[in-house]
Amino acid sequence: MPKEKELILLIEDEPQMRRFLRITLQTQGYRLVEAANAQEGLLQATTRNPDVVLLDLGLPDLDGLEVTKRLREWTQTPIIVISAREQEQDKVKALDAGADDYLTKPFSAGELLARIRVALRHVARQIAGKQEPVFALHNLRVDLAQRQVFIDNTEVHLTPIEYKLLTVLIRHAGKVITHRQLLREVWGPAHGNEVQYLRVYMTQLRHKLENDPTRPRFLMNEPGIGYRLKYDPD
Amino acid sequence: MTEFSPEPSDMSLNEDPSLNRPINAPRRTWRKREWLLSVVVVSACTMIASLLSPYLELADLVMIYLLGVVVTASRSSTWPSLFTTLLSIAAFDFFFVPPYYTFAVNDIGYVVTFAVMFIVSFVISRLTLRVRQQADASRLRERRTASLYDLSRDLVRERDTTRLSEIAVKHIEEVFGSLVVILVPRELNRLVISAKSSAALVLDEQELSAAQLAFEQHQSAGLGTDRQPGVKTLYLPLIASAGTVGIVGIRPGTDTDAFDREQLHYLEAFVNQTAMAIERAFLADETHHALLKAETESLRNTMLSSISHDLRTPLTAVTGAVSTLLQNDIALDTHNRLELLETIQEEAQRLNRTIKNILDMTRLESGAIKVNKEWQSLEEIVGVVLNRLGDRLNTHPVQVKLPGNLPLIPFDELLLEQVFMNLFENAIKYTPEGTPLELSASESLYTVTVQLADHGPGVPHGEEERIFEKFVRSRTTGGGVGLGLAICRTIINAHGGKIWMENRPGGGAVFRFTLSAAGLPPLPKVEEGLEDR
Repeated sequence: MPKEKELILLIEDEPQMRRFLRITLQTQGYRLVEAANAQEGLLQATTRNPDVVLLDLGLPDLDGLEVTKRLREWTQTPIIVISAREQEQDKVKALDAGADDYLTKPFSAGELLARIRVALRHVARQIAGKQEPVFALHNLRVDLAQRQVFIDNTEVHLTPIEYKLLTVLIRHAGKVITHRQLLREVWGPAHGNEVQYLRVYMTQLRHKLENDPTRPRFLMNEPGIGYRLKYDPD
Repeated sequence: MTEFSPEPSDMSLNEDPSLNRPINAPRRTWRKREWLLSVVVVSACTMIASLLSPYLELADLVMIYLLGVVVTASRSSTWPSLFTTLLSIAAFDFFFVPPYYTFAVNDIGYVVTFAVMFIVSFVISRLTLRVRQQADASRLRERRTASLYDLSRDLVRERDTTRLSEIAVKHIEEVFGSLVVILVPRELNRLVISAKSSAALVLDEQELSAAQLAFEQHQSAGLGTDRQPGVKTLYLPLIASAGTVGIVGIRPGTDTDAFDREQLHYLEAFVNQTAMAIERAFLADETHHALLKAETESLRNTMLSSISHDLRTPLTAVTGAVSTLLQNDIALDTHNRLELLETIQEEAQRLNRTIKNILDMTRLESGAIKVNKEWQSLEEIVGVVLNRLGDRLNTHPVQVKLPGNLPLIPFDELLLEQVFMNLFENAIKYTPEGTPLELSASESLYTVTVQLADHGPGVPHGEEERIFEKFVRSRTTGGGVGLGLAICRTIINAHGGKIWMENRPGGGAVFRFTLSAAGLPPLPKVEEGLEDR
């Protein structure tokens, strides 16, 4: 191994979930710290300084939203929340409170690893402090310096808002962005609730960039939560 | 003769005020009016007699007085009648028997006249009185029968205990002029008030305990009985064939204290009618509950058997595959190994879908899921579903035809996602591999209709409605719990839409549902300079 792999903090109360995640993560070479409840998790986070936190929303001692808030008081470490399906609202709250992404039970190892990779990549880029000048995905190419968008090397004209929306999605590539976050970044803080704006512009964007807007390949809708530019760097 | 009556309308036979009184009100036998009537009638007789005296014999004048006695007797009771008789004799003596204007009598023969006059008057008044009393009694009976009939007629129309109680209270109150309350047993046979004639009727602890006593002993209690006579109300048990179904409490008006035997007898008839009606309502209720319970029971049984089947089948497959993989002594080649692992994955996913459907249905039915309508794009939600189904649609190519100008429509995207998922899963399950599916939508009159057509076998004729019921599934293999379409219907109905299924003329089924597209979302202004970045 050329370099020690990243440290992941897993805060999860179910032993069988921990077992599955331990095996999956360790086979991928990640180092792992486990915590069976929120208090222990918060303690481990301060002492071990993990690179990614996997946080179950249904902890017995403290709710996941609270854990997210406490972690965000002092660290920008990516937090990926793990939730059951019935917890849509909790998920959105945790994301708005600063969690980076989420996984809904049951999930596959592939999904988990992809989320972790995306989270780590964002951290790496933040440390590097610069964005690639050109973003490429499938047949889409966005020249961020020239503010030009190409599909199959043909330039596509976007309205200022469509373009802004796309760049926000690119900035968060691979991560979910809640409706509220997206609205604030594109329209400003006064427009946090006008989700229908997003619906209209995302539809327009899909029609311009996707081959088949009813089967999008990268401009993904996450019902009840937000949008995601589907992107896996590896 | 009418001028003799001080209040003609009151005195006419048909409108005898005593008959309009509530039956339990005290009969004021010697009412002032009757005495007054005596005086008036005798005075009138005297005036007529004095006018006619020049032309008539004394014996004829007596007849005028006798007429007066008849008139009085037909309207008054015994004592005023007797008084009239005596007053008539006195007046006759005073005014017409010499010496005039004294009660002295010259001729002893007049004493015989007086005696005869008294006897005749007395007999006439007695007879008249009796005839009148008989008429009164039969009118009273008639009226009682009529009010009983009224009661039973009103009771027959109702099924609800509270309504029945209200009706009985109203009737008994009217007929007996009393405050009335009906109590029925609730939990642990504790009596609660089902209806009462006025809010002013308040039952204190003592009253309630008397009522409870009547209920427990199936005998009357309270006022006028020897069980807790201290209270102000008489409590009669409502006794029906199966036992005591409640209590009628009746509190007489203030000017009398207890009911006489006749009134009690009559009251009993009312109470019996009420008891039968309330029992009927109880029985109907019980039957209804029994039916409901039986239905719930059978639904629960169907649910349990289908759920346990649907949970167990994939679990069996998973357990089997895992145990094979764990047995090291079985030589598995890579292909078989992979196949077992895929089985595990597929069955686990199926298990997850089943559980999700069961949970969704439970939560929808219990009201735990609220419809959260927002302006949504149909295209977007279709995209989500098609992506989520992913490889499972490989066997069923999907053609999507959504008009480009479809507006945003208000719906709950998580719930609609579920509708699409269930419809697609249904189609995948019940149509042969390789047959295409067509999803389309259209808008007219502010209603968006979405349809999913397949090329499968369709549904047997007459089953088109039934398939949307819970736990109904196709007889062919591979079915789920039979909740998918029931969930669809619940969700679409909750959106104010309709969902139905038709067999296509060329074979295959088409599922359609509607959503309201009324209204316009608040949208941002169209951007200026579209090409400008």
